Amino acid sequence: MPISWILTVGAMLFCIGLFGMMVRRSAIGMLLSIELMLNAANLNLVAFGSYLKLPVIAGQVFAVFVITLAAAEAAVGLAIVINIYRNEQHIDADKISAMKM
Amino acid sequence: MHIFGFYITGYQVAFIAVAGITVLSAIGVVLLPNILRAALCLGLMLFGVAGIYALMNAPFLAAVQVMIYVGAITTMIILAIFLSHRVMKIGFSQAIYNPLLAAAAAGVMFLFLFVTVANSVWVRQISAGGPAKSGAGIDAVATALLQPYVFPFELASVVLLAVLIGAVVIAKEDIEDA
Repeated sequence: MPISWILTVGAMLFCIGLFGMMVRRSAIGMLLSIELMLNAANLNLVAFGSYLKLPVIAGQVFAVFVITLAAAEAAVGLAIVINIYRNEQHIDADKISAMKM
Repeated sequence: MHIFGFYITGYQVAFIAVAGITVLSAIGVVLLPNILRAALCLGLMLFGVAGIYALMNAPFLAAVQVMIYVGAITTMIILAIFLSHRVMKIGFSQAIYNPLLAAAAAGVMFLFLFVTVANSVWVRQISAGGPAKSGAGIDAVATALLQPYVFPFELASVVLLAVLIGAVVIAKEDIEDA
């Protein structure tokens, strides 16, 4: 199986995530799209790590770090979303104006 | 086996099936108007990515994907949806804005990436050997984490501690307001 198949699946996932980022206005919908794009990046890292046969499996280790930071990002992002909902009763990214000058 | 004149191995059939599930559920994540169903589709898509990891001989990463993404992050997102959408007042439905413009932009991006992947010489050179035959198991990942990558590993634990404290501080209700 050529590596280009996996890279194509990764490109598809990334572009679907990009599309979701542009069409969703709810903050949680945008977080879902970010997870799609992070997974696309992970897929490429693991594919290169598996095909290049380096002495250290750098691709998988990088993917583990990306997963760690994705979990951290989701935790902080969802905490912010819940806090915004508590203050404004909605999570529409277009209407949130608390940090505008 | 031969399908439409092409010789296809069982490995490739498995990859196409798993990749198809992954991409279809990813489309569901961005297009379903019901945000709760979109989050459940995200869980299915993360399972598909775990399957692709398993096909690429990365069993440790497949297990990590299922445990952290499917087990923890999807659960956390669904809980946040329940906490932030009052079922009767807002509802779970979300509008989709400017789909044509966004689809055009994402399509151009995909075309660019696909042409790059399909035409690059180095991609063809890498593909020649196929994926690593011997699966890199837990011991190999552990050795890499604790010998050359021990500093980022420790840094990640500090980041996780900071996130733990930060998330609690942000999500905590203000005592004066309540």
